[in-house]
Amino acid sequence: MRMLLRRLSLYLVTAWVAITANFILPRLMPGNPVETLIGQLQGRVTPQQVRAIQLAFGMGLKQNLVQQYFGYLGQLMHGNLGVSITLSAPVSSILRSAVPWTVGLIGVSTILSFLVGTLAGTMLGWTRGSRFDSLIPLTTFFQAVPYFFLGTVVLLIFGSNLHWFPVLGAYSSNLNPGWSWAFVFSLIRYGELPVITIVLSSVAGWMLGMRNMMITMVAEDFVLMAVAKGLPRRKVIMHAARNAVLPSVANLSLAIGLVVSGALLVELVFNYPGVGNLLLQAVLNEDYPLIQGIFLVITMTVLAANLLADVMYFILDPRTRTEAAI
Amino acid sequence: MSTSSLPRAPHHDVAPSDETALTSAKPESNDLVLEVKDFSVDYGWGERAVRAVRNVDLDVHRSQVLGIAGESGSGKSTLVYAVTRLLRSPAVITGGDARLFLEADKDIGSDARTLDLLGASERELRSIRWSQVSIVLQSALNALNPVLRISAEFDEVLRTHRRDMNRHQRRARAVELLELVGLNEDRLARFPHELSGGQRQRIMIALALALDPQLVIMDEPTTALDVVTQREIIGELRDLRARFGFAMIFITHDLALLVEIADEIAVMYAGTIVERAPAASLHDAPRHPYTLGLLNSSPPLHGEHRELVGIPGSPPDLAQSLVGCSFRARCPYALERCAREAPPLVGIEDGGRMVACWLHDGSPTNLPEPLRRKASPTARDDLAPRAAKEVRS
Repeated sequence: MRMLLRRLSLYLVTAWVAITANFILPRLMPGNPVETLIGQLQGRVTPQQVRAIQLAFGMGLKQNLVQQYFGYLGQLMHGNLGVSITLSAPVSSILRSAVPWTVGLIGVSTILSFLVGTLAGTMLGWTRGSRFDSLIPLTTFFQAVPYFFLGTVVLLIFGSNLHWFPVLGAYSSNLNPGWSWAFVFSLIRYGELPVITIVLSSVAGWMLGMRNMMITMVAEDFVLMAVAKGLPRRKVIMHAARNAVLPSVANLSLAIGLVVSGALLVELVFNYPGVGNLLLQAVLNEDYPLIQGIFLVITMTVLAANLLADVMYFILDPRTRTEAAI
Repeated sequence: MSTSSLPRAPHHDVAPSDETALTSAKPESNDLVLEVKDFSVDYGWGERAVRAVRNVDLDVHRSQVLGIAGESGSGKSTLVYAVTRLLRSPAVITGGDARLFLEADKDIGSDARTLDLLGASERELRSIRWSQVSIVLQSALNALNPVLRISAEFDEVLRTHRRDMNRHQRRARAVELLELVGLNEDRLARFPHELSGGQRQRIMIALALALDPQLVIMDEPTTALDVVTQREIIGELRDLRARFGFAMIFITHDLALLVEIADEIAVMYAGTIVERAPAASLHDAPRHPYTLGLLNSSPPLHGEHRELVGIPGSPPDLAQSLVGCSFRARCPYALERCAREAPPLVGIEDGGRMVACWLHDGSPTNLPEPLRRKASPTARDDLAPRAAKEVRS
């Protein structure tokens, strides 16, 4: 427990450093970032927008750096990330509408890919050298194909030509978002193709990792012991898998950290309304407050995911708990 | 190589091989637990197959401690793991016969029966695994699942084989077993890495006894331990054996240690048994040059120090087909005949011991002096209590 608290404090420090970097970096740019921004708008700027830019980089131009810094921290505490220049809306509310789409799509895909890959890897590792090994080159092929190519081809064949799956967007445009059965059903139907392609292109990693760990574990004495104990095969495999899965779980936690950011290509190909699309727009339009806000959210998710990985490892592997005991 | 001249035990034809693996027969008129005949194991197939175990006969009597000694690669572990069907591919059992004679077990309500280990189905094997034949491995750290508490190891074994026990009974049994090996019940909540090597090995022993097996296989259980702990554990094992009467196969390369615990010792070399004799006789009066070499190369546990002498050379490549005696290249007494014919394992000295060596073909003049020593009849009696006393003090 003490060790966990120590890790937690480490993460708090890291988070603070990340936030501070997020504050300082724009101010290290030559010139005044606010003036640069206003200059880029070439006079077509409303007082509201000027205020928005000021808010984004601190409270106002008349404060010194320290005052600005604490102002910025204070704004953050209240969830105020400034106002987007191009969308003329608070960054926090823009993010709030974009993040759930991405988290839903990529989160479901990542977990599905992990489950399928780990299960397949367990079986492949146990039955090494069997005909099931032909799954490996097949899935590796899908991982090797560039995602935008795979996505586009799948979209063209199964969406546009065969009409097996609906295309473009996250739900049928005839429906209003809400918790109705029709909407949820439409959400799932529209999500199928992106999820399938993501799983297809990422499952090989999970599968190979788990398979290789299983092969190592199967040779371990405790697996021989499990057989000698007369346990049913399922339980023997569990003895090996329980140990083999540890690195995969750590990787899963880290993959979850990328859930918020790692969806640019998927969202472009399937025209999905998420953070990836938003970030692209923000960068193209040099919408600094929005970019800053997105980066902050991504940084925080990655940090949270790292913490999750630590906690998971702590729970799953007792050997990591003894640091203080020795 | 054939060992057909070996005197066959009278019960051999009691359970013909064409019967099903599980034969409900009356308790047979012998006290055997395990009988292995003409057993061979290869690693791999075809020309390059390594013939790790070749035509071995072995039997273990009830409550007997049979020691198997030999250097690394002599096939001692391969033999035992193959017999218990724990070997995995690419090991292939290429011939032979292995039977387990099970007594009626009141705990699980089974009758006395004979199990053909090589013909047994996966289910039949599972039913005797651990409940009748358990095993203790060399490294307890690797043999215990690193992510499970000790209590889970006991719980799993009891839950699998004693379905009628509830959680409290299983816990009580685990505590009782730990007491047997002198460990406190608080060890149950620990993980393997939190225990010392000696504690882990004691837990393995307690675990092996959990279901009152008839045969416990000890695969170098003390090799990874320091000498003091080694002696303690050997003493405890001897006490436990006396108390519960299980038979034991004790595999080690340490012949001196084996003399402390074994009733009988079989010495293996290059996949065959080269000598088998009561422990004390083998120790005091070896009859095979290899046994002599092994004894000269390990420090004696008792008596004055003497110079240690290694056996020159290295074991033969078992992937090559062997002609003649496999030990001949390293043997100081090799005869011309040893290059042509492999010596069979035959009874000598009124059949009380067996040796596979041409030097013992009946003409004592051939016999070098070190292989002619007489075993003192009291050797064993002399040795055993002294060792036990030392362990306790």
